[in-house]
Amino acid sequence: MLSYIIRRVLQMIPTLFGVMLLVFCLFSVFGGDPSLVLAGKHMTPATLANVRAQLGLDQPLTTQFMIFVKQVFTLDFGTSWGSQQPVRDVLASRVGPSLTLSGALLVVDLLLAVPLAALVAYFRGGLTDRIVTICCTLAMSISALVYIVAGQYLLAYKWGLFPVGGWGHGFWTNLLIYVPLPMLMGLMVSLGPDIRFYRSFFVEEMNHDYVRTARAKGLSEQKVMLKHVLRNALIPVVTTVMMSLPYLLIGALVLESFFQIPGMGNEVVRAMNNSDFPIIKAITVYVALATMVFNLLADLIYKLIDPRVQLK
Amino acid sequence: MNMYKAALAALLGVSALTAHADPDPDKVLRASFNAPETGYDPAKVSDVYSHGVGENIFEPLLTYDYVARPAKLIPNVVTALPEVSADGSTYIFHLRHGIYFSPDPIFKGVKRELTAADAAYGLKRLADPAVASPSNYLVLGHFVGVDELADAAGKTGGKFDYDKVVEGIKAVDRYTLQLKVKTPYPGLQYILAMPHTSPQAREVIEGYASNTPAHPVGTGPYMLQDWKPGVKTVLIYNPNFRHEVFNFQPAADDAEGQRVAKEMNGKTYPQIGRIEVTVFTEEQPMWLQFKSQQLDELYGVPQPLIRGVLTIDPNNPRRAKIKDEYAKIGLKLSRALDPEITYFSFNGKDPILGGLGKPQIALRRAIAMSFDEQSAMRDIRRNNAVRVEYITPPGVQGHNPHFRMFFPYNRPQAQALLDQFGYKIGADGYRTTPDGKPFTIDFLSNEGAIGRQWDEYWQEAFDVLKLRVSFRHVAFNDLLKAMRSCTYGITGAAWIADYPDGDNFQMLMWSKNIGAENVSCYSSPRYDKLYEQSQQLHAGPERDKLYDAMNKVVSEDSAWAPGETRFRNRMMQPWVLGDEVHPIFQTSWRFTDIQKK
Amino acid sequence: MTTMINQAAPAATETRPQRGLWAMGWRRLKRNKVAFCSFWVVMAYMLLAVAGWLNILGDGWRAQIAVPYAPPSFLAKTVADTLPPEAPVAGGTASAPALIMVTPEEDPIGKEMEIARQNMGKYATANDAKLESLPFGADLRGRDVIHKTLKGASTSIFVGLLGALLSIVIGTSLGSVAGYFGGKVDDFLNWFYSVFTSVPDMLLLLSFAAVAGRGIKTIIIVMALTSWTGTFRLVRAEYLKLRSREYVQAASAIGASDARRMFVHILPNISHLLLVQFSLLTVALIKYEAILSFLGFGVGVTQVSLGSMLAEAPAELVQGFWWQMVAVTIAMSLLVTTFSLLIDGLRDALDPKAR
Repeated sequence: MLSYIIRRVLQMIPTLFGVMLLVFCLFSVFGGDPSLVLAGKHMTPATLANVRAQLGLDQPLTTQFMIFVKQVFTLDFGTSWGSQQPVRDVLASRVGPSLTLSGALLVVDLLLAVPLAALVAYFRGGLTDRIVTICCTLAMSISALVYIVAGQYLLAYKWGLFPVGGWGHGFWTNLLIYVPLPMLMGLMVSLGPDIRFYRSFFVEEMNHDYVRTARAKGLSEQKVMLKHVLRNALIPVVTTVMMSLPYLLIGALVLESFFQIPGMGNEVVRAMNNSDFPIIKAITVYVALATMVFNLLADLIYKLIDPRVQLK
Repeated sequence: MNMYKAALAALLGVSALTAHADPDPDKVLRASFNAPETGYDPAKVSDVYSHGVGENIFEPLLTYDYVARPAKLIPNVVTALPEVSADGSTYIFHLRHGIYFSPDPIFKGVKRELTAADAAYGLKRLADPAVASPSNYLVLGHFVGVDELADAAGKTGGKFDYDKVVEGIKAVDRYTLQLKVKTPYPGLQYILAMPHTSPQAREVIEGYASNTPAHPVGTGPYMLQDWKPGVKTVLIYNPNFRHEVFNFQPAADDAEGQRVAKEMNGKTYPQIGRIEVTVFTEEQPMWLQFKSQQLDELYGVPQPLIRGVLTIDPNNPRRAKIKDEYAKIGLKLSRALDPEITYFSFNGKDPILGGLGKPQIALRRAIAMSFDEQSAMRDIRRNNAVRVEYITPPGVQGHNPHFRMFFPYNRPQAQALLDQFGYKIGADGYRTTPDGKPFTIDFLSNEGAIGRQWDEYWQEAFDVLKLRVSFRHVAFNDLLKAMRSCTYGITGAAWIADYPDGDNFQMLMWSKNIGAENVSCYSSPRYDKLYEQSQQLHAGPERDKLYDAMNKVVSEDSAWAPGETRFRNRMMQPWVLGDEVHPIFQTSWRFTDIQKK
Repeated sequence: MTTMINQAAPAATETRPQRGLWAMGWRRLKRNKVAFCSFWVVMAYMLLAVAGWLNILGDGWRAQIAVPYAPPSFLAKTVADTLPPEAPVAGGTASAPALIMVTPEEDPIGKEMEIARQNMGKYATANDAKLESLPFGADLRGRDVIHKTLKGASTSIFVGLLGALLSIVIGTSLGSVAGYFGGKVDDFLNWFYSVFTSVPDMLLLLSFAAVAGRGIKTIIIVMALTSWTGTFRLVRAEYLKLRSREYVQAASAIGASDARRMFVHILPNISHLLLVQFSLLTVALIKYEAILSFLGFGVGVTQVSLGSMLAEAPAELVQGFWWQMVAVTIAMSLLVTTFSLLIDGLRDALDPKAR
């Protein structure tokens, strides 16, 4: 077990290196030059050269990449090229709102989707199953943009059920006042595919031989469902959720900009539009690290819940 | 709590009259911006939103009268407008006594007074290569001895020597500042009214050297309390701010100015205790929040909403009113033309489109005449703009409202003109050059929805003329790169005044500015000669004549296709008092009040 | 995106060479009423898409036939808010100074301008009156929303199909090579795969798009580059499993080349999985195009897609012009719903385990 973990951690190094190479190529080699914007509208060649020197853009690409490597090792990405604030502070202030929204969204989504999926799987093939599946498909088919734009207009503005948007101080204020509407919009988008997805786990589990055996032994359908299917089907659910956790860091881009939530998604778009490399590099590296760690955790949990699984 | 305060104030009524009252901290103005700011170090930022906040924190030597139109310079932290030496090269400023910086831990609890050294430091800092100020052009090349300091600092290992006394920017004594220019600098007084040139306390800048944008310390009415970059900025009243009383003297026929004077005169400056600015990147939430009274002031009515919110006279866009449904609930509107121009620029160095040869002029003329600017302005700008007819826009010193720079929209004549010069239609249905070669026009355009809208109107013009066009959509920095390096065919460009003097606009076509502000890469010896003459002159009829001649040159050469000057539409809730769009200031928060319910 | 990748995983079921699978699948599909109806709706959309590419349908979408934002015909007319007439300027127009402009004598091409003025008659065009309303309203430029939606749906399907195809090609070729050869090749491709999955899709997407510029080509490439990983995983797993099967071993014994074994012997056996994967991707990419267009990486000026129409929706809705958004939503959700139901049916029908 320990040697497995060590091996997996060692495997992360080449992957992280690959991620760094990819990000570096995309932005520093092929990407736009942010100094053109930073030098202002009166920019002269001399000013431009000075700004490029200040940002370290006049260095050879290899040197720039070595600086990036050093930044990754120290986890200190310097200051944002936009607001000139330390990258660490910028990200720290952004991660809270994103997690509040996407965390709440994830929890509520799970609480609704898993029982519903189990229920639908229980009645698989029946009318309920078909109606729910079609409803889910229908809900999935509408673009997230439509939900957000129309939802904000109708629910918040026309009918005044929620604030139009904004963000306050304090976790509970945000969770109870500002999160519900964007969360609802997020649910509209995610619930359909998730119910369908989790349903497939349950159905697959119910087709296993041991379930048939249990049924043949005369166990009631409910008992089979609760005792065997639920427990086993939850394994893929748990690992799926584990693997999606790093994405919570990135936040929900469109939701955040429409509902004025000062989260990571907004910052990603701003950084992209302004070629704010320090921010982009930091976010990419952090998310890549989190993805790898959570993948490992997911595998370990899998092993813990289901001892039959062999770790290779 | 408020009851208690009110009762206390009533009891202490006498003393409240003698000591001036601080602004009510419960008077909170919730304001909005349409785009993110970048920071609050005036030397380091170049966007209007950052400077808009900076206006409330920093005080340049001079400023503008809030209600006078056109904008009028008045002394700010100096006793009077400067004394100018007979030869026009030396300016003397006397600082007012008893002006203090806002409290900051750097001052260790001591009230820090503004001195001439701070003013000199604030100006010199713009030239420091280590600051890499986008505003260095304001100082470099103008003041005696400053460029030498900058050059010395620019060498490897060099440092800008702020202690070295130079004649160009010199603190003569604690309250006297001397500026000495190398050649006449007609824009100087305007420049000294820009927040960029505000005095700075050196110990603050050096104390927060690693992060000056987050620690602005000025002498203005407000100080920064909280800043979440790109999201929210909170300003609170500066307790060290001097006692001043509003006393606006608007012109008798200026109804809006009269309203402001009536609402504000006699009150102490400022009135609002706390200003919360939220940045909106989407238009729908901004408007919906304002409409549901979660915002007090709308920085600008977003373009797509203009048709739904305002009724604008299509024949005279200067006439506008709020739609009845909003007027009924008391929403207020203040409107002014921005000191800006947008235009479509032909690349003067393009092998097909550029140059001063007759066939090239004809091609540019035909394209410019075929662009249906009026429809584009109606549909995209919702009539909320006037057509550009002069390089220097209205509201800026030197503008001539009776000039018509562009030939009238006339597609049939444009097509006939191309025929006249031998741009024949080839076998593939597109026109060729007069010597029979096919060509494609490289139209450079910004990515994003607005850029796309303009492209549709342009596509139509090119379709009619039977010219082949290819739209190249690039990110903003690549757009700038192409414009600076003259590698495009046509592109949309814009210029907003740094200061309201025509020189700030007429220099856009000076050939020496190719690679910098002259993104048209326009090079005309006739224009250059006129422009260099105008640089020696201060604003006045003589310079105006030169400006007319310069505009004629650009018009004859058809270097531009028509663009427009937009209105800024600020909206306020009924309880916001004294709010008016100023042609130069970005924000009016410090001049406003809130009528408590 | 995560969901999209994950959904493909459970489809990896046991397979064996079976020629009758497709015929049986078709029979099963016909029995599934929902899926069969969906099949015909999707086919109708495909027909529409083809008609759109060939410019048979929706070709006139760029014609500006109505006033800006002309409402749908079934809506009641509202009275426009107007300003009082302008008061005449005191002193009249006579006192205004004459306008200054370039005179024909000053104009370097004044003579030619004058000749052109005389010749312009042959280019004169009649100005048609614009319609006040249209069956389902007009957009900002007075274009018919119905035409626009038809053309837009055609573009979106085109983008979705091509993007999915490219994505499948990338995923299958890398996945088959990795699974078939194993060893160092597999290690390297796995590394490549893990790098791509470790970077958030949104970042990849935005950065690819920023580097590649704008237009249909970019959208297709960007979507393929960010969505191939699911197919890679699926195909690699299948190849790992199938390469040791008897029939593949037998092919090797009679001297079939690696390429022949990979593409002639193994590939057909996973084709049904690829079809499902392809359909899933198509649907996902059609929806994805909308988000990309919203972020400003949409199609060019002379083209229209459902996404580029939807990108106009926020600005319109806030002014009360809802028709374009509703039209797009109907067109898109009908397509996506039926397509998804068809995929469900396909998956069941092509599942060799099911009876």
